[in-house]
Amino acid sequence: MTAFLNAIGYGHWVLDALLVLPLLAALLVMVTPERHAKHVAFWATVVEFVVSIGLWWAFDPHMSGMQFEVIRPWIAAYGISYHVGVDGISLFMVLLSTLTMPLAVLGSWKYITSKERAYYALMLVLTTGMLGVFMALDLFLFYVFWELMLIPMYFIIGVWGGSRRLYAAIKFFIYTFVGSLLMLVAILFVYMTVGAHTGVYSFAYGHILANAGLVRQWTFWLFGAFALAFAIKVPMFPFHTWLPDAHVEAPTAGSVILAGILLKMGTYGFLRFAIPLFPHAAFDPTVSAVVVTLAVVGIIYGALVAMVQPDFKKLIAYSSVSHLGFVMLGIWAVTVQSVSGAIIIMINHGISTGALFLLVGMIYERRHSREIAVYGGIARAMPMFAAILTLVSLSSIGLPGTNGFVGEFLVLLGAFQTHPWAAGIATSGVIFAAAYLLWAIQRVLFNREPDAENAKLPDLSRRELVVLAPLVACILWIGLYPQPILHRIEATTSGWVAQMRHGMPDAGLAHGPAGEDAP
Amino acid sequence: MPPSVGWIWLVVLLPFAGFVANGLLSFLKPSAKRAVSTIGVGVLVATFVVAVVVVLGVARDPNDAPYLIHLWNWLPVGDLNIGVTFQVDQLSSVMLMVITGVGTLIHIFSIGYMREDDGYARYFAYLNLFIFFMLILVLGASFPLLFVGWEGVGLCSYLLIGFWYTEKANADAGKKAFIMNRIGDFGFLIAMFMIYRATGTLNFTEVFSAAPQVFQVAGPAITAITLFLFLGCTGKSAQIPLYTWLPDAMAGPTPVSALIHAATMVTAGVYLVARTNMLFAMAPVSSAVVATVGAVTALWAASIALKQWDIKKVLAYSTVSQLGYMFLGVGVGAYASGVFHLVTHAFFKALLFLGSGSVIHAMHKAYHHTHRHDDAQDMRNMGGLRHWMPWTTGVMWVATLAIAGVPGFSGFFSKDEILAAAFARGQEHWLFYLLWVLGTVAAFLTAFYMARLMLYTFHGPNRTGEAEREHLHEAPWVMTGPLLVLAAGSAIGGLLNLPEVLPGAGWLEHWLAPVTSGSGLYLPEAALAHGTEWTLLLVATLLALGGLYAAWHFLKPEALTTAAEAPAETGFGLVLNRKYYIDEIYQGVIVRSLVWLSDRLLWRTVDKGVIDGAAVNGSAWALRGLGWVGSLLESGAVGWYVVVFVTGVLGLLYFVAR
Amino acid sequence: MNRPFGVDLGTPSGIALALLPEIVVIACALVLMLVAAWRHGDERAERLVGQLSLVGLIAALATVIWFWASNLYPSRTVPEMITLDPFRYALDVVFLLGAIGTVLLSLGYLGRERILVPEYYVLLLFATAGMMLMAGASDLLVLFLGLEVMSVSVYVLAGIQRRSAASAEAALKYFLLGAFASGFLLYGIALLYGATGTTNLYLINLQLRGGAGDHGLMLLFGVALLLVGLGFKVSAAPFHMWAPDVYDGSPTPVTGYMATAVKAAGFAALVRVLITGFGDAPGIWQHLVFWLAILTMLTGNLVALAQRNVKRMLAYSSIAHAGYLLVAVACGTTLGGSALVFYVLAYTLMTLGAFGVLSVAGREGERDVRIDDLSGLAKRRPWLALAMAIFMLSLLGFPGTIGFIGKWYILTAALGAGQQALAIVLVLTSVVSAGYYLPVVMAMYMKDETEPGTIERAGYRLGAGARAVVFAAALLILAFGVWPSQALSLANQGGRALRPAPPPVIVLPKD
Repeated sequence: MTAFLNAIGYGHWVLDALLVLPLLAALLVMVTPERHAKHVAFWATVVEFVVSIGLWWAFDPHMSGMQFEVIRPWIAAYGISYHVGVDGISLFMVLLSTLTMPLAVLGSWKYITSKERAYYALMLVLTTGMLGVFMALDLFLFYVFWELMLIPMYFIIGVWGGSRRLYAAIKFFIYTFVGSLLMLVAILFVYMTVGAHTGVYSFAYGHILANAGLVRQWTFWLFGAFALAFAIKVPMFPFHTWLPDAHVEAPTAGSVILAGILLKMGTYGFLRFAIPLFPHAAFDPTVSAVVVTLAVVGIIYGALVAMVQPDFKKLIAYSSVSHLGFVMLGIWAVTVQSVSGAIIIMINHGISTGALFLLVGMIYERRHSREIAVYGGIARAMPMFAAILTLVSLSSIGLPGTNGFVGEFLVLLGAFQTHPWAAGIATSGVIFAAAYLLWAIQRVLFNREPDAENAKLPDLSRRELVVLAPLVACILWIGLYPQPILHRIEATTSGWVAQMRHGMPDAGLAHGPAGEDAP
Repeated sequence: MPPSVGWIWLVVLLPFAGFVANGLLSFLKPSAKRAVSTIGVGVLVATFVVAVVVVLGVARDPNDAPYLIHLWNWLPVGDLNIGVTFQVDQLSSVMLMVITGVGTLIHIFSIGYMREDDGYARYFAYLNLFIFFMLILVLGASFPLLFVGWEGVGLCSYLLIGFWYTEKANADAGKKAFIMNRIGDFGFLIAMFMIYRATGTLNFTEVFSAAPQVFQVAGPAITAITLFLFLGCTGKSAQIPLYTWLPDAMAGPTPVSALIHAATMVTAGVYLVARTNMLFAMAPVSSAVVATVGAVTALWAASIALKQWDIKKVLAYSTVSQLGYMFLGVGVGAYASGVFHLVTHAFFKALLFLGSGSVIHAMHKAYHHTHRHDDAQDMRNMGGLRHWMPWTTGVMWVATLAIAGVPGFSGFFSKDEILAAAFARGQEHWLFYLLWVLGTVAAFLTAFYMARLMLYTFHGPNRTGEAEREHLHEAPWVMTGPLLVLAAGSAIGGLLNLPEVLPGAGWLEHWLAPVTSGSGLYLPEAALAHGTEWTLLLVATLLALGGLYAAWHFLKPEALTTAAEAPAETGFGLVLNRKYYIDEIYQGVIVRSLVWLSDRLLWRTVDKGVIDGAAVNGSAWALRGLGWVGSLLESGAVGWYVVVFVTGVLGLLYFVAR
Repeated sequence: MNRPFGVDLGTPSGIALALLPEIVVIACALVLMLVAAWRHGDERAERLVGQLSLVGLIAALATVIWFWASNLYPSRTVPEMITLDPFRYALDVVFLLGAIGTVLLSLGYLGRERILVPEYYVLLLFATAGMMLMAGASDLLVLFLGLEVMSVSVYVLAGIQRRSAASAEAALKYFLLGAFASGFLLYGIALLYGATGTTNLYLINLQLRGGAGDHGLMLLFGVALLLVGLGFKVSAAPFHMWAPDVYDGSPTPVTGYMATAVKAAGFAALVRVLITGFGDAPGIWQHLVFWLAILTMLTGNLVALAQRNVKRMLAYSSIAHAGYLLVAVACGTTLGGSALVFYVLAYTLMTLGAFGVLSVAGREGERDVRIDDLSGLAKRRPWLALAMAIFMLSLLGFPGTIGFIGKWYILTAALGAGQQALAIVLVLTSVVSAGYYLPVVMAMYMKDETEPGTIERAGYRLGAGARAVVFAAALLILAFGVWPSQALSLANQGGRALRPAPPPVIVLPKD
C-alpha cells in the first residue's frame, strides 16, 4: 500500500486535494438539480474520505514532526503563506472529519427537505474549513479557516434548524466571534513583535514557535487571548452555554458535525497553538490549577446537568461538556498516557456522540419530538435501534471493551500521576455518566410504552444501518485494538510532552517563507 | 508450559461465538429456539470440556508459576504496556471450573425455564456473553483486563436483570445494579491508578514482585490501595454499604439469579481479594476492615432474610450474608477458606435458586392456567408443595442442610473453616473474637431462615388455591437434571478441603498454596490446638441444628394466611421486612438530593440563570440598552446638536491644553 | 514604473499638468451645466447628462492612473501647494470610483423618484473635484478650498429631492452644522498660521522639527480646531450628530456618496495634515485622536444596535467605521496611512454596494426600510440577497472579504504603533457590530416575508447601472478578500508617500 501511494506521489498532493475537492464539489452541487444535490454531495464526501484514508498508510508513525507539508506564498509581502501539514495529532482529526462527513450527509437524507442544494453546498464548504483548521501551519491561514467554518455552520443552524434557530445561530456566531477576534489581535501582536526582533515578518507556525520566547513578557495576555477563543470552542465550563442551544436547534447533521468535529478544534487549538506557543503561561501553577479545576468542574457539572435534561439532544450536549472536560484534564496533565488518551477521547467523542445525535435524529424523524418523555418501550418495536443505542451509550459511558474506556482510562491514569486529586474527583464522573445515560436510555427504550404510537415505529432502515455501521465498527475496534492508532500518535505526543516538560517549545518545525518587504 | 494450557483462548472464544450467533438469531430468526438452545448450551459444554483439559494440564505440571498467554497488545502507551494476556494458575483454574461447570448446568436448566419466552435467543445471547466476560475476569493477567471482565459481567447483569424491560421496576433494578457497581468501580479505578503510580505497572505478576520493594507494610499507600480495591468489591459482591442492588436484581429470570447473582459474578469481589491477597496481607488494617464488613454484612443480611416472604428475596439476602462469610474468610487471611466457601456456595446457592426457580415455574403455570395474577414468588401463596414436586423438595433440603452447615454437608466445612480462622486470629486482637461471634450468630440465623423457607414452601398445608392446585406439578427433567448434579456437589463438596483434624485435609489449600504463598510472609502464624478446633466444630454443629429445630418448633405454617389476606407486619418484624428502610434512606437522602441539586441549582439556577441569563444574554441586553439610550440623544433638534458639538470642542481644547 | 520625470510647478503649464485630473472633472462639469441648462426638466436629457458625467469621471480616472504609472515628481526644491504622490492618486481613485458608482446608482434612481434635476450630476462632479483637491493639497488653504467646493455641492445634493420634507431638513441641518464646522476649521488654520507663520504642511513639519518641544497654546488650539473641522466631515463622535439625520433624509445614492467619498476625502485631509504636517510631533494630537477613535467606535456600534431602520443602521455603521479609520490615523505612522488608504477603498466598495441594494429596496417607503422588510429576500431575489449578505459580512470584517483584510491591516498598524488598547476596542466593538449586521442576513435568509408583498411593494428592480455597481462591488470585495496582495502594495505606496523621505530640501521663497 505504502509503495503504491509513493508511486502516485500521494504525499505531495493529498492535502491540497482534500482542501480543494469539497469546494469543487460545492460548485457542482450548486449547478445540479435540486433532487440530485444530495447524491452528488454524498459521493463527493465518499471520494474525499477515500482520498484521505491513504494518510493512514502514508503517515510515518516514527516522525514527530509535520508530514505532507505544502508551502505556497499567498500574501508574500506580509509573510503570509498557504502552508499546510499533518502530524500525529491532526492526522486523526482529519480522518475523523472525512469519515464524519459522508455519514452526516446520509444523516440529512430525509431530514433536509428544503433548499437542499444550498444545504449540501454549505456542508462541503464546511468540510474544507474544518480540514483547513486541522492542517494549517500558518497562523493567518489558520485564523481564516477558523472563521470560515463559522458561516456555513451559522447558516446550517439558522436556516434548517429548529424553532429557536435564529437565537441559537446568532448566539453560536457571536460567542465564537468574541474569542476569535481577541485571538486575532494576539496573533498579530506576536507577528509584529517577533518580526520586529528577528527582522523576519512571517506568520509561519514554525517561525513563530521558534521565536515564541521573544514575547515572553506578554505571554500571559497572549495565552489568555488564545485560550479564550479555544475554551469557548471546546467548550469549557463556564463558556459552554452556546452549545446546548446550538446542538438542540441544529439539524441532525449539524449537531453531528458540531459535536464530532467543531468542538475538537478547541482542544486541538490548545494542543497546537495555545500551549506550545506560551508554555510558561499555560503551565504556570496558577493557570494550570485554574484550567484543571475548570476541566474537573466541567466533567462533574456537565454530567449532573445532563442527567436532568428533558430534551435528549440537550442531554447529549451537556454530556459533551463532560467529555471534553476529560480531554482538557488529559492535556494539562502532560503525560504521554494522558495526552494520548486526550486525543483518543477527541476521536471517541466524535464517533460516539456523532452516533448518538444520528440515533436521536432517526427517532426524531419517526416521532417528531426530542422530548425523552415522549418515548419509552420502543426497544420492542425497534430492537436494532435499541441494540445500537445501548452500545453507543455504553461506549459513551466508557465501558471497557469500547472506545470510551480506552480514552478515559488513559487520561485518568496519566492525570493521576501529576494531578492525583483532580484525577480522583474526575474519576467519579464515570458514575454520573452511567447515571444520566442509563436513565435516559431506560426512559427511551424500556419501560411501558406511554402511547400506542411507539409500539408501531418502524425499525432502522437499510440506509440508517449503513450510516451507523462504520461508527459501531470504530467503537469496538478502538475499544479492543487501539494499538494502531496509539502507535501513530505516540511519536507526536511523546515529543509534545517532552517539549512541554522541558518548558520551552523547540524549533523543530518547518519554517515558512518570510516576508521580504516587511511593514 | 503444558500444551493444553495453550488452548485457553478457545475457552474464551467459544462463549463469545455463542453470543454472536445467538445475538444474530435474536434479530434474524427469534423463533428458531431449537437452534438457539443447541448453540447456547453447546458452546458451554464445549467450553467446559476445554477448561477441564486446561486445568488437568495445570494440575499435571509440577511447576507452580502462573502461565501467561499473551494474545495482543491492548494499551501500549509510553512505559505503560497492557496486553490482552491471560493468566492461568491454580486460582483461575478453580474459578474456571466453577464458572464453566455451574454455568453449563444453569444453561441447561434455562432451556426448560425460558422455553415460552419471546426473548429466548436474546436471553441465551446475554448468558453466553456473561460467561465470556466472567472468564475474562478470572483469566485477565492485569488489573485493567480483569476490569474489562469486571465491568462486562456488570453489563450482562444489567441486561439480564432488566430482561423483561417493559416493567419499569425491572429496568430500574437493572439500572440500580449498574450504577451501584459503578460506585464500586470508581474505587477499583482509583486503586489501579495508585498501583500504577507506585509500581509503574498493572500486570499482576509484576505488581506482586514489585510490591515488597515499593510498599512498606501497613503503610498508608498500600492501605489506601487495598481499601479502594475493597470498595470495588463491596459494589460487585453486594457488601455493606453497596448491597441493596442485589435483592432488587431478583427481578431477572431465576436462572440468572442463580448464575450471576449467586454462583459467579457476585463472588468476583472475593476472587479479587484472593487474587491480590499479597497486597491485602501487607495492609492489616484493610484486611481487618474487609473481615469486619464481611462479618457485619453476614449478620445484617441474615436478619433481614428472617422476615422476607418473597422466596427469591430470602435467597438474595442469604447470598449477601454468605458473601459476607467469604469476606470474613479472606479478611482474616484464610484465602483458601474464602475460595473454598465460594465454591461450595456456588453449588448450594445455585441449587437453591434453581430449585426456587422450578417452584416459581410451577406456580406460574398454575396461575397461568386459571388466569390469576397473584404473586407466584410469595411463600404465603405456596405450602405443601412437596406433594407435587418431590424431586425439587429433596434437592432443596440437601442445599438447605449444606448452607445451614449441618455436619457432613459442604457448607459445614467451608463455613467452619472461616469461623475457625477468625477465632484463631483472636489471639492477636479481641476484634477477631467479636467477628467470630457475629459469624456464629449469623450461622444460627442462616439455619433458621432456611428452615423457615423450606417449611413455608414445601411443608404444611397448601395455600395456592383450589383451582390452581390441579395444575401444580414437577418440573421437566431438563430442569431437575441439573438440580441433581448440583445436589451431589452441595452434599460432598466439602471433601475438597477437609479440616486439619480429619484425614486427607486441606487439599484445596495446598492446591492454592502457590497463589497465596506471597501473603504468607505478612500473616501472623495463627494455628489452633486440636482441642479448640473440635470445640468450634461442636459449637457450629449445635448452632446449625439449633437453628433448624427452632424454626421447626416455633414457626406454624398452618397458621399462615395467603399474601392477599396477610396481616400487616408490626414492630421489629416490620423493620426487618422493610430491610431496615435502607433503600428508602438511600433514595431519599442521596438520589433525591442529587437530582434536586442538578435540576434546581445547577441547571435552572447556575446554568440558565446566572451564566446564560445574567452573563451572556444579560451583557447583550446591556449593550442594546446603551444603544437605545444613545439613540435617544439623537433628538433631531439642531440646537441640541450644536450643544453637543460645542461641548466636544471644549473637551478637545481642554485635553490639548492640558 | 516608468522612469520618473519632474514637473516644474512654477510654470502655468506645470501647474496645469499637476492639476490635470481635477481640470478634467471640472471641465466636464462646466460642459454638462450648459447641456443641463439647455434642455431642462426632461428625463432623457437627465440620463444623457448622467452618462456624459460618467465619461468625464472615467477620463479623470484614466489620467490619475497615467499619473501614477508615470511617476511624476515636483522638480523644484521649494515646498509646493500640490503634491504629486501615490497617496493623492490612490485617494483620487477611490473618489472617482465612488462617484462613478453613485452616478450609476442615480441613473435609475432619479427617474424612479421623479427627481428631474440634471444639475445633480454637475454637483456630483464639482464635489468630486473638491475631494481630489483635498487629497492633493499640501497646503492648508488649498485643502480648505477643496473642502468647501466639496461641501457646498454636497449640501445641495442632500436637498435635491425638493418634494421631500425630510430631504430639505437634512440639507438644512447639514448646511448649518457644516458651516459651523468650516468656521472652526478656518479658525484653526488661522491659528496655525499665527503659530508657525505658514500654511504649508512641509514647512509646518520643518518648524516643529526645528523648535521641537515647546508648542505654544496657539499651535495646540490650531491643531485641535483642525481636528474639529475635519472630524465633523468624517462624522467622528462627538461631531457626528448630523450624520444619521442627514444620511436618513437624503436620497439614497447621495447618502451612499456621503458615506463613502465624502468621508474618504475627510480622512484624506486629516491624515495628510496630521502625518505630513505634524507627524514629528504626535504628542500634540495623538491622544486626541485616540479618544475620538474610541468614542466614535463605541457610539457608532452601540447606537447602531438599537436601529430597526436599515438606512439609519448603515448611518451609524458608517460612524463606527469612521472610528476604525481613526484608529489607523491614531497610529501616526506611514503604515497607519497605508492601512487607512486600503480601508477607505474597502469601505467604499462595501458601503456603496449596501446603499446600492437599499436604493432599490427603498421606493415609496424609502424613509423606513425596516430590517424586517428584507425578510425572505433570499427567496425572491437570491442574487441580490447574496450580494447584500456579502456586503454585511464584509462590513463585519469576515475572512474571505476585503473587509477582513482591511481590519487586519489596521490592527497590524495599530499594534505596530503600540496602540494595543485601540486594537482591542476595535475588535470588541466589531463583535458588537455582528449584532446589527447579522440580523440583516437573518432577515433575508432565515425569516419568511412578514406581510406578503413587502418585497413586491418595495420593487427591488435593479436598473442596469445599479446592478453593475452592486455586483461589481460584491465581486471586488471577494476578489480583494482572497488576493489582496496588489491592492495592499498600492495602498502601501500611498501610505509611504505621507512621509517623503528624505523630506524635500526646503528653500524658503524670498518674497
